[in-house]
Amino acid sequence: MVPAPMLDVHPPVGAPNGEASSSQQKSQKQMTKAERRELQERQRAAKAAKAAANGAPSKPAAKPKESAPSGSAAKPKPNRVSDAQARPAAPAAARAAEKAKAGQAAATTDAMARTQARGLLIFSHFGLPKPVSAAKGDIHPAIVRLALQFSTFKITGANARCIATLTAFKTIIQDYVTPPNHTLSRHLMTYLSPQISHLVAARPMSVTMGNAIRQLKLEISGTDPDLPEQDAKDALCRKIDTYMRERILIADQVIQETASSKIKDGDVILTYARSSVVEKVLLDAHASGRDFSVIVVDSRPMLEGKRLAAVLSEAGIQCTYLLLPALGSVISEVSTVLVGAHSIHTNGAVYSRAGTALVAMMAKRHSVPVVVCCETYKFSETIQLDSFSKNELAPVGDLFSSFPNTKPRESLTLENQPNLEILNPLYDLTPPTCITAVVTEVGVIPPNSISSIPVALGRLL
Amino acid sequence: MTAVAQNNDFDIYATFQQFLQDDQISPPLAAILSLAEAIVKSNAGTMFELVQALNDSAEELKRRSPNPISLNAGCELFIAFVTLFPHESDNFAELKKELEQQGRKYAAEAISFRDKIAELALGFIKDDSVILTHSYSRVVLKALLHAHKTKRISVYVTESRPRGLGLKTYEALTAAGIPCTVVLDSAVAYVMDRVDFVLVGSEAVVESGGLINYVGSNQMAIIAKAANKPFYALAESYKFHRLFPLSQYDLPTHNPNILSFPTPTARSAGQDSASTTAASEASEKSSANKGTSSSPTERAMTQEQIAKNPGVDYTRPDLISLVFSDVGILTPEGVSQYLVGMFAG
Repeated sequence: MVPAPMLDVHPPVGAPNGEASSSQQKSQKQMTKAERRELQERQRAAKAAKAAANGAPSKPAAKPKESAPSGSAAKPKPNRVSDAQARPAAPAAARAAEKAKAGQAAATTDAMARTQARGLLIFSHFGLPKPVSAAKGDIHPAIVRLALQFSTFKITGANARCIATLTAFKTIIQDYVTPPNHTLSRHLMTYLSPQISHLVAARPMSVTMGNAIRQLKLEISGTDPDLPEQDAKDALCRKIDTYMRERILIADQVIQETASSKIKDGDVILTYARSSVVEKVLLDAHASGRDFSVIVVDSRPMLEGKRLAAVLSEAGIQCTYLLLPALGSVISEVSTVLVGAHSIHTNGAVYSRAGTALVAMMAKRHSVPVVVCCETYKFSETIQLDSFSKNELAPVGDLFSSFPNTKPRESLTLENQPNLEILNPLYDLTPPTCITAVVTEVGVIPPNSISSIPVALGRLL
Repeated sequence: MTAVAQNNDFDIYATFQQFLQDDQISPPLAAILSLAEAIVKSNAGTMFELVQALNDSAEELKRRSPNPISLNAGCELFIAFVTLFPHESDNFAELKKELEQQGRKYAAEAISFRDKIAELALGFIKDDSVILTHSYSRVVLKALLHAHKTKRISVYVTESRPRGLGLKTYEALTAAGIPCTVVLDSAVAYVMDRVDFVLVGSEAVVESGGLINYVGSNQMAIIAKAANKPFYALAESYKFHRLFPLSQYDLPTHNPNILSFPTPTARSAGQDSASTTAASEASEKSSANKGTSSSPTERAMTQEQIAKNPGVDYTRPDLISLVFSDVGILTPEGVSQYLVGMFAG
């Protein structure tokens, strides 16, 4: 919990600064911006110095806190079929370590976080990646595990995250017991809220998760209060299953059929990073006997395209793999660009993995049609005009390489240094003018008419 | 499958051709009328069988027609209508009669769509307008004749090779007293600066908001955009189609023969040149005989060469200013909203 830096007139309690009292001579309003900043720096430095002076254990206290989450992150890797005891043990150890060095640890991470905050002020409005804090309150172990998987990027992709979240919620709902004098329809939501907050703290919520959770809350509040508890819970789980099946899995099948009919023999399809839907489309087209080749364009830090190229070439599709800067040399040979989306907005703009906008703009310049495959549940009622207003930063350091390392991870990527801040936005916005068509399960829609999707859906539901 | 639901001696394509004899009936309307006939003639016992029979007939029409896009639009519209038609009547034969009547009624009403569109277009035509149009379109002709009653207009029409349908438009307009000049297809850019706006008909208006029309429309739209002239498309609502072409070569009418290069082999190269010289000599002779060519060395393409060329092309929605239709004046984005709303679910 990093409190916003305060510009108090009175010096903060417990910071005996000679300088602070002397600067009280001028009131804050009279000081220029530079002087105020100077004052702030001095107060911070003093606080940090005091915290450091309070003992060596403060630094190592921060370390076990961070190594505990990464230690338990290493655990899911060998033990995917969960060992439920191991998971609560790791956060419990972290909690103990934290309690032991509460004051100093908090102050040090405070100062460290503020050091980071200072550097990335321009993008701080969409939150800095923080290490997963210990679970506060009564968090279900399935959610704890999920949060760790999200924060360490073991589960990525809008569809995958949504399905994992809904599956975890089914477990929670089945384990839930309505306390006496409460109704399920009211209390279940309050029970779920801290779970959702824990997930959001691990990694900002995707639009898909948001839409699904909103639908779930609607279903919960609509539960018949006279229904016996187990029946209500079963009904909710069935509704969750239906949502997953209809809005994601079956929608993907419809999109597969529609989009693969746009792939003709001899085509060269270009795709970016790794979209689960595009992967399905390409495999489906190949299975129906179409003869085409694929160019997979990839980029750091996530390098998701490697996995896609592996899957496609294993299926027998001819693949070329290259990094984003090399796009210009192959774009003239491409017949269609096929990309996925994280979400799509009312004005037709597509919010997707960082780099998609570059691919789309390049394709448009060379008159190559850009086709976005997107299920309707990814539709967001908002309008987004640029990549700044809403985005997410990848954590610093190498979380993404999946192969065993001979060198320590820290040496593989740049680290933050006093004069260097690493900035890795994960998403960007493709303007509707660069998109030719959006394939959804209600049809192929031009980007300017995305706002008619709710109308089309209203007819189906 | 077909035998179960249809009489063997009912030839849908022949019926279709018969309906097309009437000059006022366009291919999608003829398709709707022939499908309505097919309903009556079929001996399907359930709704499912009937829809299946209609789908089979539509498939056959598409297969046998050289340009299936517009009649496909009509077929899909009618089949969607049949599927969604509320059937409370217990007697299936009565239901079939009802459907056939609805089909005929729609076709009759649809003839009046052209008048509605002509009325809408009138508001955009000012006195002394110079209009450029392409090839032959019944709805554009109607709009121009309607405008001529109250305004002074003059019209440029392209020759529209290879079928030369622009000349048909020329004759119709001149007969009505509208000053009209035929323009070479290659002179569209030359004439564009003289023109106030471009008015074309359509084979189909597609889901992207784009237009499918006789080859040459895309060219005209691009030139109009470059010269900042409005490009208006006139289309009846039964021509709205759920197709979404991503490019020219994504059209259903595109086949590998179009724009293909001849395979070079030594023998056939010799034969080819022999045949082309023979053909050009023949055409020279014929044109000399006709005496209509101004220069003695005017050449014409052979049938084989013409076959390598497309008959229709696709105009992108960002090149089109407005689409005039009986459901109103729509922007290209509005067309897709209308289509999604009408056909989804």
